[in-house]
Amino acid sequence: MRLTLVTALTLLLLWTLVAQVNHALAGLRVYLFVGSLFVTFAALKLPLRSGLGASLLGGLLCDANTPVTFGTHTLLFAAAHAVVFHLRERLPRDDTLARVLVALLANLALFLMFSFIQIARSPAPAVAWPRLIADLAGSQVFLALVAPWFFALQSRAVSLAGSSRELTV
Amino acid sequence: MPFRRFATTRPFATLGFVVVAWLLLPVGVKTFSRASFFELTAPVTVAADYARGLQEYWSLRLHSNHELIVAGRDLARINASYEFAVQQNAELQAGLERLEALLRLPSYRNYRLEHARVARRDFSGWWQRIVLRKGQNFGLTVGAPVVFSGGVVGRLTEVYASTAVVELISSPNVRLAGVIEGDTNAMSYQGGLNPTFGPPRGVIEFVPLDVFASPTTTKRLVTSGFGGVFPPGLTIGVVTKVEPSTDGLFKTGEVKLDERLGSLTEVTVLVPLTHE
Repeated sequence: MRLTLVTALTLLLLWTLVAQVNHALAGLRVYLFVGSLFVTFAALKLPLRSGLGASLLGGLLCDANTPVTFGTHTLLFAAAHAVVFHLRERLPRDDTLARVLVALLANLALFLMFSFIQIARSPAPAVAWPRLIADLAGSQVFLALVAPWFFALQSRAVSLAGSSRELTV
Repeated sequence: MPFRRFATTRPFATLGFVVVAWLLLPVGVKTFSRASFFELTAPVTVAADYARGLQEYWSLRLHSNHELIVAGRDLARINASYEFAVQQNAELQAGLERLEALLRLPSYRNYRLEHARVARRDFSGWWQRIVLRKGQNFGLTVGAPVVFSGGVVGRLTEVYASTAVVELISSPNVRLAGVIEGDTNAMSYQGGLNPTFGPPRGVIEFVPLDVFASPTTTKRLVTSGFGGVFPPGLTIGVVTKVEPSTDGLFKTGEVKLDERLGSLTEVTVLVPLTHE
């Protein structure tokens, strides 16, 4: 429980920072999406129940602040969590570079899934794609820059909360 | 061996359980969860906006007295012209009321103006919305129109205890009736074209065949006041292109919206007085 809450608090911090960056970028019509950061650390390092709990809380946080059907982020994050968790034994998951690569691939998949769900609302879907691709490119660059810091922050937060023994090695 | 097989499928079995549990969850619980999680993040949004305000205040403190005097003089000139406009507006309003009484016309809906600061902007390719630093504590209601000096901003879609969410007219979820300035034929407007680094745009449908517009000869699109929450005559944007639709009965076109929509800091909510 403590592991879930500590990880969820780091996700709240991430959501706050990304919301502030998006606020500043609104005038340029650029939007950053880092959904995979809500999932990657929890799926790679935490036990299934605690990690999935944290990912679900992160999804609910995103759902509450976006005009989508409530549960869209939650279920997408849960699916991404299950896939990454399934693959984690075959990955060098203590290596930061490997974690960042997993985060980039998961973000790409989440962004595309989310776009296909939302694109139907657009009056001209074909015109919307260039904007979405530009946002995706910006998001991937931003994610690659902040992911190492964020994973270190999550590891440190778990250690400070005295729950590092529960992390899977 | 069976245990090992279960261990490999355990994440997907758990995912299946989560999906089924979510689908079976009553709508009331989901609505309550949504409101709770939004209220949980509202203080963070508001605190970040206060921090930005403080930062702005200290940067303004660095201005010299000379700059402040010049700004004050310019402001006094603008205030003088606004005071004159207010007097003219009062006269026009009185004239309108007299005509309404004489001709027994139904009067326009009255609104209370509630100015609010923008706490967060959220402009993705999927949606465009802003969060205001006022909510139920200032009597804001869902559906109330939101405007700024450049025209329509959008309408309130969610109102919480101390914050409210505005869906912008550049968002694909917003549809409203508009007319070309000086014309009476209504057409349907929908937001949703938001290119990177470019101004937001929307589309118009059911445009009469006698309407012509191009990037060099633009037409102003304003709210019609028909069947919606917006009073008539508010600027939506500028029609830059119209072309015949596929059925040939009407035309479709593109509307360029105000670029300032992406950098709003203050807006005005028109709170309908009939709701109070």
